[in-house]
Amino acid sequence: MARGNHVKDQLSDYVVGALIIREQERVQRHLSECEECRAELAALERTGEKLEAFGLMDAPRDVWNGVRQRIRERAPAQRRWRPAWAMAMGAAALVLIVIGVVLLRPVGVGEPSLIVVAEPDEEMQATIEGHLPTAWAAPLADHASLGLRLELLEDDG
Amino acid sequence: MKGATVLTCLILIFFATVAWGDSTAWEAVWQSEDASSRVSLTGQANTMAVTDGRQLSATAAVSVGGGKVRFDYRARGRSWSLIDDGLYLMRLQPTLKKALLLERPRLAVDRELAERNYVAREVASGVVAGRDAKMVEIAPRSGGPVVFRLWLDGETGFALKHERYNVEGRMTSATEYSRVTFGVKIAPDVFAVPKGWVKEESVRSDEALSVERLSFRLGFMVRRPRYIPEEYRLMGTYEKRWGRRRLRAAELRYTDGLRVLSVFQHPHREDWSRGPRREERGRGGGGRGRDHGGLGMGPPRPGEMTLVDRGTDKVVRYFGRDMAVFVIGDMLSDELVRIARSVE
Repeated sequence: MARGNHVKDQLSDYVVGALIIREQERVQRHLSECEECRAELAALERTGEKLEAFGLMDAPRDVWNGVRQRIRERAPAQRRWRPAWAMAMGAAALVLIVIGVVLLRPVGVGEPSLIVVAEPDEEMQATIEGHLPTAWAAPLADHASLGLRLELLEDDG
Repeated sequence: MKGATVLTCLILIFFATVAWGDSTAWEAVWQSEDASSRVSLTGQANTMAVTDGRQLSATAAVSVGGGKVRFDYRARGRSWSLIDDGLYLMRLQPTLKKALLLERPRLAVDRELAERNYVAREVASGVVAGRDAKMVEIAPRSGGPVVFRLWLDGETGFALKHERYNVEGRMTSATEYSRVTFGVKIAPDVFAVPKGWVKEESVRSDEALSVERLSFRLGFMVRRPRYIPEEYRLMGTYEKRWGRRRLRAAELRYTDGLRVLSVFQHPHREDWSRGPRREERGRGGGGRGRDHGGLGMGPPRPGEMTLVDRGTDKVVRYFGRDMAVFVIGDMLSDELVRIARSVE
């Protein structure tokens, strides 16, 4: 397979599941045919497993002090002087942005959105299936109809 | 003064008549619920169910006796049978000579709660399957569309026709007998799995536990919703095995007397944020595996909510900070959403 078709650049996203379905399927198809990319995937997974095994560690307290000191040393010695009018313009622009954000903010932002789907995924399907026998035992249940649903639900699953 | 007295009397008579009519209708309804243990019959029924926006229909030969029921269906060019013997629901698959057994759930029916939340009225009479029947409508006392229309046999009380409507007033199921014969003697093996067939039992635990005990057993804190509509009462708390992976979940089951509402919950699964497991790749679905139908990429965001309306029941899934909550019931979407959000 030509090098241009390799999927190595996408493997890290693939491992963490950040690809859309179509891309994920394309990567899977490629992996089934390409030894080189499979080896790359295996290496990536080994690395991930090793990193996970290490876990998170607290850095020594003086690490950041050393980093800050080095940044200061490398930064240009003189500071640029900013004229007062430039700072005033900047402040005015900031105020306008804040007002704009507040006024133009769409209603409902911050509230979790409700995604309405036509087809239940596996877990929702399991919920429906799990609830059906309960409906069977509910008062005034139409057993003939529920039996039909029970069978056809199984077919769809 | 005289006029006022007459008016008061008329009002009292009106309310007394309504209340009496209500209790009489309820009596007939509960009599129909118990009919399958009192009568034996064979018959033919046409049945239909609306699910996922589709209307499915079948004809069924029905046998009832000693509290047991058997349906022999024909639909979509195939046939199968279903037996309810009071302990198990048995689905007979003739082509495979196999019976799938599911422990029959036992719900403690709260008739008092049903009568408190719903009003039953005898509204008409008619003939179904050649027999005289009275039609009873059941609707919420708080208002809203009729939930059930039942045509009850004048002699035995058995429901000869049954219509169910959802909270929006759409018909979701209906069954009507086209032929029925009462007093038939039915052989006991009609309600049993034929000899030589393979029996496959599906485990379903319906052992009610306290919230504390269930939390201990499941290893996470089971939470009660802070909001449940006032008509509903908690029936029980159960451990459930979930989907293909048999994930352990908690179910809190509520009822308003006629409708059943279930709230399922389980902790976030760690592997959602890591993508599909190695052995699961190839089934598609992005970061949340097939479970999430490819709705988005990466792990679910706290607050993300999904709704499926299957016609009869709606399901809402809500991802809290560390908990996935599923609410299923015949209820308006806003109410289901409110319940799901209140679990955190």
